[in-house]
Order: sequence, then C-alpha cells, then structure tokens
Amino acid sequence: MSEIPGFILDAFAALMLLVAAVSAGRLALDRPWRRGVMDADVDGVHVLMGIAMAGMLVARLSTLSNGVWTVIFAVTTAWFAWFVYRESRGGGARVLVHSHHAPHLVHSAAMVYMFAAITAPAAGHGSGMAGMGGAGGGMSTLAVPVLAFIFAILLAGYAVLDLDRLSGPAPHGSHLAAVAVAPAGAAVAGAAAGSGTLGPGTASAAAVRPEGGIATLPEQAASPARSAGAPGRGGGSVRDLLLNPRTAAGCRIAMGVTMAFMLVIMI
Amino acid sequence: MSDIAVSRGRATWRARLGASGESTWQLPDARRALQLALAAIWLLDAVLQYQSFMFTKGFGQMLAGTAAGNPSVIAGPINWDARLVEHHAVLINSIFATIQLLIAVGIAWRPTVRAALAASILWSLGVWWFGEGLGMVLTSSASPVNGAPGAVIIYALLAVLLWPSGRYAATARFVAARAVGGTAARILWLLLWGSLAYFALLPGNRTAQGLSGMVGGMAAGQPGWLAGLDNHAASLLAHQGLAASIVLAMALVLIAVGVYLPAPAARATLVLAIVVAALIWIFGEAFGAIMAGGATDPNSGPLLILLALSYWPLGKLATASAPVTPTAGAEPGHEEVKA
Repeated sequence: MSEIPGFILDAFAALMLLVAAVSAGRLALDRPWRRGVMDADVDGVHVLMGIAMAGMLVARLSTLSNGVWTVIFAVTTAWFAWFVYRESRGGGARVLVHSHHAPHLVHSAAMVYMFAAITAPAAGHGSGMAGMGGAGGGMSTLAVPVLAFIFAILLAGYAVLDLDRLSGPAPHGSHLAAVAVAPAGAAVAGAAAGSGTLGPGTASAAAVRPEGGIATLPEQAASPARSAGAPGRGGGSVRDLLLNPRTAAGCRIAMGVTMAFMLVIMI
Repeated sequence: MSDIAVSRGRATWRARLGASGESTWQLPDARRALQLALAAIWLLDAVLQYQSFMFTKGFGQMLAGTAAGNPSVIAGPINWDARLVEHHAVLINSIFATIQLLIAVGIAWRPTVRAALAASILWSLGVWWFGEGLGMVLTSSASPVNGAPGAVIIYALLAVLLWPSGRYAATARFVAARAVGGTAARILWLLLWGSLAYFALLPGNRTAQGLSGMVGGMAAGQPGWLAGLDNHAASLLAHQGLAASIVLAMALVLIAVGVYLPAPAARATLVLAIVVAALIWIFGEAFGAIMAGGATDPNSGPLLILLALSYWPLGKLATASAPVTPTAGAEPGHEEVKA
C-alpha cells in the first residue's frame, strides 16, 4: 500500500488543477483564436497537463486512459520539439538553457514517459492510471527508472532557472522575456500611435541597456501592466494577474516541481 | 486597436520563430550558476524526501542505523531522533521534505538567497549529525567511496563558499574564494580532500575485499545496467583492496594540494577531482542509489563536482559565463564577476 499520505497527493493534485484553471483563464482572457497570442499553445498544454497530472495523483480525478494521454503528449512533444529545433539552428546547445520552448519540450516528453512507462501497482486494484498511489492499492512504478531520474534532474534545473529569472532584476531575452514580447509589440505599436505606452521610464531603460531591441521591452512588458499596455482592454486586477508572464512562469515552476515529485516517487 | 493587435501578432510570431531568447539572454554569473545548481540538488533532495519509504517506520530505523559505531554522546541523540521519527513519521517527514523544498526555492529566489543558504547550513549540520551519524567519520567504516564525510556536510560547505558576498571579490581567483578569501577556501579544500585520502586508507578499506565488497554491495536493487556496472567494477577490484586504496589516496592527496599549484596545474587537478567524484558517484554510490528507491539525496558525487567547479580559476569560468554589469544595490546572489 502506498505510504505517501493522502493529503500530500491531494495538495499536489489541487495545485495542478489550479494551474489548469489559471491556464484556462489565460486562454479565455487572451482569446488566442482572435489574435494568435504567442503562448496559447503553452497555456493549452498546461491545461491538459494539469488535468492529466491531477488524475495521476488522485484516482477519482482520473479522466482519459493512459493511451490517450500518451498520444496527446506525444503530439505536444513533437510540437515543442519543432520550435526548439527552429531555435537551435542559430543558438546551438545554448538553446536548451535559454529557449522559450525547451522547458515545455521537457515537460511534454516527461508526460509521455510517465504515461507510457507507468506500471500497475503490484498489489493494487486501481484502474489504469487511476492514481499513483493506487486506489487503495500499491504504488505505481515506472519502467526504465533512469529516465525518471534524468527527467527529474532536468525539471529541477528548469524550475530553479525559472525562479532565478522571476526574481531577477528584469528577465530579458529569456523565455520569460519571450513570453513578454507580445505585449511589448503592442507597446511599440501604442507608442508609434502616440498612445504614450512607452513612457520616459522605458525610454531611459532602453538608453542604459546596450542590448537594445527586445531586451529592453520585456522589462516594461513583464510588469503587471501587461494588459494595461493595450488600450481599451481594461485593467482588472484578476486579468492583470492572469495575463502576467510571471503567472505563466509560476505555473511552469509548479508543473515542473510536481512532475519531478511524481517521477521520483514512482521510481 | 486592430493595428496594435496586428503588430502584436507579428511580433509574437517573429519572436517565436527567430528572435526569442537568442541574442540577449545572459547566463547567470559563475557563482550564481553554482548556487542554482545547489538549489536544484536541494530540490531533488526535497522530492526524494517525499518517497513513500520516508513516511514509514523504515525511515526512522534507517536513521537509527547511523548510530552504530559512533560514540555514545553522538549515538544517543541519533537514537532519540530516530525513535521520534518512527512514531511520527508522517508529520516529521512532511516537515523535513517541506524544509528542503523551501531551502531550494529560497536559494533560487534571489531576494532570499542569504536566508536560504544560512538555513541550509543549519539544516545540513543537523542532518549530518541526526541523519548521517556525522558521516560515520568517527567509525571505522567511513570511506570516500560510500560518501564520507557525509554528503550533507558538503551542502553546508558549499553554502559557505557560495555565500553572496563580494568581500574578497577583488582578489579572488576562483568563486569559492569570494566569500571567505583564497587562504580560507584553500584550507577548507585541503581539509576535505585530505580527509577523504585519510578515510581511503582506513583499515577496513585496505582489506583485500574492502572496496570490492563496497562497490558490489551497491548493485542490489539497481536497474540491470547499473548493477552490471557495479558488479563488473567489484570483480575488477576483487583482492585489490590495498592497491586500490593506495592509488585512490594518492589521487585524493594530489587533488587536495592541487589548489596551491599554479593555475594550469590546478586546473588539471580539478579535472582529476571531477573525474574521481564522477567515478565515485557512478560505481561507489550508484548515483546515490536513487534508482533503487529509498535514497534521501544523490550522495556526495555531484556535490564534490560542484565544489571542484567553485575552485576553477576564474579566468576560464568567468569568461564562459557572461559577466553581469555591476549595478548599485546588486541583488543577493548576483553580484558582479571580476575575473
């Protein structure tokens, strides 16, 4: 029988459902079907991952079968692999550290591995992926545990990198910044139209940052004023919070830590 | 608004396909990179602490096992702690795991790096005593191959050496010297690796089958390929305990004095340190026995590698990572790098 207390699995499952809800909220507020917002795919995948992981953690939250989830995440893995490949053509191996898509590729690949390699609890009677702890049964385990180990290390690495970037003076050029490029583009357009989106503060920031270009913009764009930068879109605090790139990064950190937790306890 | 939306969409996809994070991304400076590596290891420790075994009485019994061979003044508190853990396994282990998670997050989160490193020192010292029996250094069973002087004490050492202080930045020739100065950092290195050489020559490790038995014993419960590696290494070391211990001790002594040598020779000994640590991690520690389940940390191998990197002469390491422009009120953990 699984010895991991239920409240811990429940807490992680609740966290994953929260991530799924936040990501769904981001999708709804940003209306990607209208404007092709950059991270619609990431948010969409986070919704799927949140639901899938919650189902793995707590049997009663289980939705689809292992096979279906495996196919879904195989597709998302291929999707992010394509972007990482495109990015790597100019950046080489460094893309694994600074690419916007590399962490999502690792997350998706880890999901494929988990659903493909999970084995039924030895003493359990849970159905399929119905909970890692088994519904009153033994603990599910993963085949090829070395992959679980490698994925756990990668996920831990990306999580601490994200935390570092989130807490830094201004994430520029990183995948956090890439998230913020979209509103930055809006800011540029707003400035060009005389809307005053690019204020004096931003201008001075641009002046002291030799990197120039998009590197200066995320400093402004990554602020909670993301949505406020687009005239006429309102500026409710919940909306600001949901659409803030830091919220997306927080979701990614929570996802990565929970995934590492799941991988390790199923070794 | 539609113009803005169009611009936004174009910028979005341009960024996605080409420019995102390409030219402006700056790697953390050398010390921050090492701090983040330490944070990642703490995070790995935290999730390992959530394994099902840790919530059973077996965890308490495992702690009690470290009392064996230690003087009573050391063993007594270990046994008391082990009984406490046995009786309140769920509560105490939940606290343990959460503390380690907070340490990891705290080190990775720049404003809290000092507090988290300080907490990690205190926590490591406690675990070194109550969880590792002082790394068994007071017993006859300590060996660098099985993790002596205790992985967790190296966490504390790293926290001290990677402390975000620029006190000695002007004269520091390697990252570890920036917080405590070159002299103190070299002494700490000499003590650590010198002690490893001493442990390698303890009577128990010099016996004909000492190292062989230790390495072969790690194969149990491991995946087939790793068990095969361990068994093969054990058969190579069979009846070679004395010779292998002497060779290992000589390598460790060379590593210990290496930081006093000129930069090119120091780099060579640091490479040797990394290779020895990697061999210990693979063959002696089986990657911390993580894949066998029930491990609480990845053991000393990766920490020794991290430590060696913190002594790497800065000319090389600092230029490998983009220096961070000094700014007024530089944030903790991210001060300037001066090569």
